[in-house]
Amino acid sequence: MSRRMRGGPLQGVRVIELTKVWAGPCVGKLLAYLGAEVIRIESEGSLDVTRTYGVADINNAPGFQSVNPEKLSVQVNMKTEEGIAIIHDLLAKSDILVENLRPGAVKRLGLDYEAVKASRPDIVYVSMGMFGTEGPLSYQTGYAPCFAALGGLSSRVGYEGGSPEGMNVRYADSTFGAAATYGALVALLHRRRTGVGQFVDVSAVECMSSMIGDTLMDFALNGAITGCDGNRHAQMAPHGVYPCLNDEWISIAVGGDAQWAALAQAMGKPELATQAAFCSLEARKAHEAELDALVSAWTAGRDASELAAELQQCGIAAARSQSSLDLVADPLLWARGFYQEVSDGAGQSKTTLGPSWTMDRAASISHGAPRLGEHNAYVLGDILGLSGEEQRALFDRGIAR
Amino acid sequence: MSALTGYRVLELSEHVAGEYCGKLLADFGAEVIKLENPEGGSPTRQLGPFAPRGDDPERSGLFAYLNTNKCSVALDVRRAADGQQLDKLLRSVDVVIDDHAAGWLQAVGLDPAGLETGYPALVLCSITPYGQSPPPERSHAEDITVFHSSGWGYHTPGTDDPQQPPLKGAGRFLPSYEAGLEAAICVASALYEREGSGLGRFIDISQLQVLASRADYVLAQMVAGDMPVGPERTAYNLQGPAGIFPCRDGFAYIWMSAPGHWEALRQLLGDPEWMTSFPENWLERECTPERVAQCRHYLARWLETQDKHEVAAAAQQLGLTLVAVNNASDLVCSEQYRYRGFFHEVEHPVQGSALYPTVPYTLSETPARIVSPAPLLGQHTEAALAAAGGEL
Repeated sequence: MSRRMRGGPLQGVRVIELTKVWAGPCVGKLLAYLGAEVIRIESEGSLDVTRTYGVADINNAPGFQSVNPEKLSVQVNMKTEEGIAIIHDLLAKSDILVENLRPGAVKRLGLDYEAVKASRPDIVYVSMGMFGTEGPLSYQTGYAPCFAALGGLSSRVGYEGGSPEGMNVRYADSTFGAAATYGALVALLHRRRTGVGQFVDVSAVECMSSMIGDTLMDFALNGAITGCDGNRHAQMAPHGVYPCLNDEWISIAVGGDAQWAALAQAMGKPELATQAAFCSLEARKAHEAELDALVSAWTAGRDASELAAELQQCGIAAARSQSSLDLVADPLLWARGFYQEVSDGAGQSKTTLGPSWTMDRAASISHGAPRLGEHNAYVLGDILGLSGEEQRALFDRGIAR
Repeated sequence: MSALTGYRVLELSEHVAGEYCGKLLADFGAEVIKLENPEGGSPTRQLGPFAPRGDDPERSGLFAYLNTNKCSVALDVRRAADGQQLDKLLRSVDVVIDDHAAGWLQAVGLDPAGLETGYPALVLCSITPYGQSPPPERSHAEDITVFHSSGWGYHTPGTDDPQQPPLKGAGRFLPSYEAGLEAAICVASALYEREGSGLGRFIDISQLQVLASRADYVLAQMVAGDMPVGPERTAYNLQGPAGIFPCRDGFAYIWMSAPGHWEALRQLLGDPEWMTSFPENWLERECTPERVAQCRHYLARWLETQDKHEVAAAAQQLGLTLVAVNNASDLVCSEQYRYRGFFHEVEHPVQGSALYPTVPYTLSETPARIVSPAPLLGQHTEAALAAAGGEL
């Protein structure tokens, strides 16, 4: 039985993480937020670099804390056979293993799927790699922007006729983590209904491709290779991001003629709606540069938030383009519990991101990210049944700390 | 059997987010019954890309992609709600997916607040731009406005040039795909628990929150006060010379952040003169804007003489993180994608045969499968009628 019964749909599920940096830990975070007990196995000789980025105190690293709330940490020396044996013992009492180590690393550690199956035949084993674990390019590695470039996403982001700008550098890891989480849950559900575990092999690059499925369909059906299209949308006009006062921006999307008429009215130029150049979607698409210039000239003197509220009253999809300052101040995000207080092992309170969803009977979230080895006694003692003396012997020999 | 075989899902969705969620469930064998308005069907049938063959409402490649493995039952939901048909359907399914605007579910008699008493075993998942209780100034939304509410828009690209408008991101529907994926996660976990408890639950997915959570590594640091926030469009950026550069046959992306990358570049370029003026550890310790600009200048001159796939292969051998910026054609031709079977040939009765993209995970026991193409409008109405004793 798990130590922390926090409720939520995955209460009672135990997850082991052999992960680094962002994408792998994101899987554990999502599962923990759904109620699972998630245990990170950490090794002082091979620390997650996010524990050391920009800080001297590995137990107080903001990057690590951001993607590891509500998890437990056990410290095991993975360079020793005895350490690996402890991990196998723990896996025997666990449901899911998530790993995103470098290609080949779990095999070298003796923790690949075949090896783990010997300890836990029905394990759900989730492996995450840039290209997946097998295939001609599976040896390659990269970072988030590489996933987006290789997966076809970056080629779609940029100004019309220009070089691709790509998605923001931070995009990809969490999406990769979410896709892996879904694969893990499907496999877990299958196990619950049949008793059979399986190997889930997730490709970061393919995750990116799945975010432009319709672009790939255009190629499949028409051989079309679509490049950068700025802020254009084939079936909406105006559709874009327009300048406002104080270097702020507003996004506006007009879905049909009625909304366009409402926008023209709001602009104080109702006659635009019936002009031949703008009276239909086809006409507006044909004169889109002119249309965007008219809209931009009008928005330029306005406050972005006020204008968005005004356009919403007219039934038009519009929103201020939110900066990081706007995001952390967004009252809706606070009201919906997206920002939550958690406390660390020392009782210090910290604000972090809660789950994206709200649901009935949700898991409670109250703990921040763990200190290195914070839960050694729980994992080695309560789960594995080692006596205090046995645990001390492991600490003394540097197997666990 | 596949992992979700035996589960019945009622799809009330009419937009990309909910249809994508239904597709992710149908991939694994769930029976997804899609209710479609008899007059023209789902609005996604009117959205491109369009196949060169076929007429409305069967020519949309978008609909064909989003609705593989599903059944289509032509039934006006509002009319069905007035009669007892909707109620009857709701009692025969395990899951309902909806992506209409907040308040719509109540309007058809499926009040989330009354779920526990009305349909206690039902997993009801709603996907909306801002959740079930949006403030008035967030009543209307499209993907681009949600993207810009979430912070991703403002920081794409991460430029400090006030003349360049921020961008909408990749394609038209990235916020919808992300939300559909998150919804599928929540539904799968709810079904897991329901196997034991027999209880359903209401799940409220906000596209804004899903997108914002995809920046968790930075946004959590910002809201904790560990990273500065401000009006800078560069707030999510990393320093360094990384970026996309033109090649002879397209574009390549290069990432450099560590001395190992610098050394690999030196080997690849044959120790060029310009690199000698940089300190060995400059990427980590002395990454000044001047050096970044200078490095980017030389990288650009070199890469414009290279072919993207060849230079990427050579770089990867040396440990330099350089990759091709792929387009749709590159992906279909990719030997890695072929090895993993990412594209799957689907024969659509009207549109013909095409290579559909599938999913980014392979499961050894229950792989995702496309068993049937997207349904024609109302294709399964009669069968559903018969199954319900003619009373739908």
